[in-house]
Amino acid sequence: MSSLLTGLECTDSGEKYNPQQVQTYCPVCQAPLISRYDLEAGRRTLDREQFRRRPKGMWRWFELLPVQDPANIVSLGEGDAPLLKVSRLQEALGLKHLFVKDESFNPTFSFKARGLSAAISKAKELGIEKVIIPTAGNAGGAMAAYAARAGLRAHIFMPNDTPHANVEESRIAGATVTLIAGLISEAAGMAGEKARLENWFDVSTFKEPYRVEGKKVMGYELAEAFEWDLPEVIVYPTGGGTGLIGMWKAFAELEALGWLNGKKRPRMVVVQADGCAPVVRAFEAGATFCDFWLNARTIASGLRVPKSFADQWILRVLAESAGTAIAVSDEEILQAQRELAVAEGIFAAPEGAATLAGLKKLVGSGWIRPDERIVLFNTGAGLKYLK
Amino acid sequence: MNQTILYIEDNPDNMRLVERALESRGYQFLGAVDGEEGLQAAEDHRPALILLDINLPDIDGYEVARRLRAMKTLLYVPIIAITANALKPDAEKALAAGCDVYMVKPINIRELWARVEAYLPGSSIPNESPAPSPL
Repeated sequence: MSSLLTGLECTDSGEKYNPQQVQTYCPVCQAPLISRYDLEAGRRTLDREQFRRRPKGMWRWFELLPVQDPANIVSLGEGDAPLLKVSRLQEALGLKHLFVKDESFNPTFSFKARGLSAAISKAKELGIEKVIIPTAGNAGGAMAAYAARAGLRAHIFMPNDTPHANVEESRIAGATVTLIAGLISEAAGMAGEKARLENWFDVSTFKEPYRVEGKKVMGYELAEAFEWDLPEVIVYPTGGGTGLIGMWKAFAELEALGWLNGKKRPRMVVVQADGCAPVVRAFEAGATFCDFWLNARTIASGLRVPKSFADQWILRVLAESAGTAIAVSDEEILQAQRELAVAEGIFAAPEGAATLAGLKKLVGSGWIRPDERIVLFNTGAGLKYLK
Repeated sequence: MNQTILYIEDNPDNMRLVERALESRGYQFLGAVDGEEGLQAAEDHRPALILLDINLPDIDGYEVARRLRAMKTLLYVPIIAITANALKPDAEKALAAGCDVYMVKPINIRELWARVEAYLPGSSIPNESPAPSPL
């Protein structure tokens, strides 16, 4: 079993970079790097059904992930979060095929575990000893846990109103936590400065190439669960956008491998909070990048991202998928959180609940048809947000 | 074509990166390494657009923006503020000081091109290599 990783490429210029060396983002274009695999070889040598037979978890897709030596995998059992049919909600909304991918089942109770498992594994493989991250919440806890398991030092910058659980889970795993009076974008500036001055490896969203590789496995899992015929619509809460982009990349890879039965890819839906909706604003304006969102405010801490480093890429996914972007209010998020719990027993994170709030608007507007297969992403556990 | 863009920035790596990026699109590039030099260069050369780092070694970018706006010849020259700190007060202060828009480092070059082109339409060499779909 060996990874089919062949190299890294700049998402703007296509310039090649060596994955055997520590890489961040393209120093010329200052754009994210993307992992490339020998999918032609994969088409010849891999059988999609072999992955189904392996032990559950993200790393059963090893050949399509960036770690070269399995001994470097740092895992806490992430991946294969359940895809739940939500019949009561579906009926209430007049739909026929509604699902929730419940990522709260991951280690540290959020989807961040996937990306950090991949990033920390690759960091270990490259001999990195200390990692730093700015986070709006769950990524910090996940990085602390995986860094602890890998024996790496961890430093985390968080806004001082980050949910208490994220602070405590980071500290108990041995990470140094710096709370700042500001947003994740400000935390990013401080983390970046410390990384530069003290040689920490910055694991910020898209400022290293591998978190998106862990997140893309959500796309593989969906394809497998739908018997390689992708659903029509994916509704995704979008802060940094790693999962949205990761899944789109996964679908492209599955197409290249020849594993998809249907030809149509899902329409991707970005859901943001109306107090911080840079992607929605740019999408509605037909822009190719986002303006920095001033005065970001929402209870969904994971959505308080004033400008993603991959904003152009997110907007490209929306364009390529004929998708859309929609903003919802905090009141609508809280209402949707209650509905998910009452109707289906899912205590979703506010970010996850936002997808239901967004779905209701899209059904109301007719953008979604009743017979379409729709997947909402609950990105984490509501329990982590209790005061 | 060949409109002059002034970049006021003390970091030599950023200076080189932006110089290369703008010259590749046909702009005349002019660099200044601190606020006073930038103000003088602006007065002398009357650039078509100014890129202004906020964290300068002598006077800060807000003050530079205010003084630029006080020059009658530069009243309507677009100023793009650039900073390493994505701090909301920084952004608000930059806009209040007279900057037109706010960018956060690292400066994505494709976005920089687009922003400059928005202020100086038709002034650059057409982009022959639009971003390929990365997927």
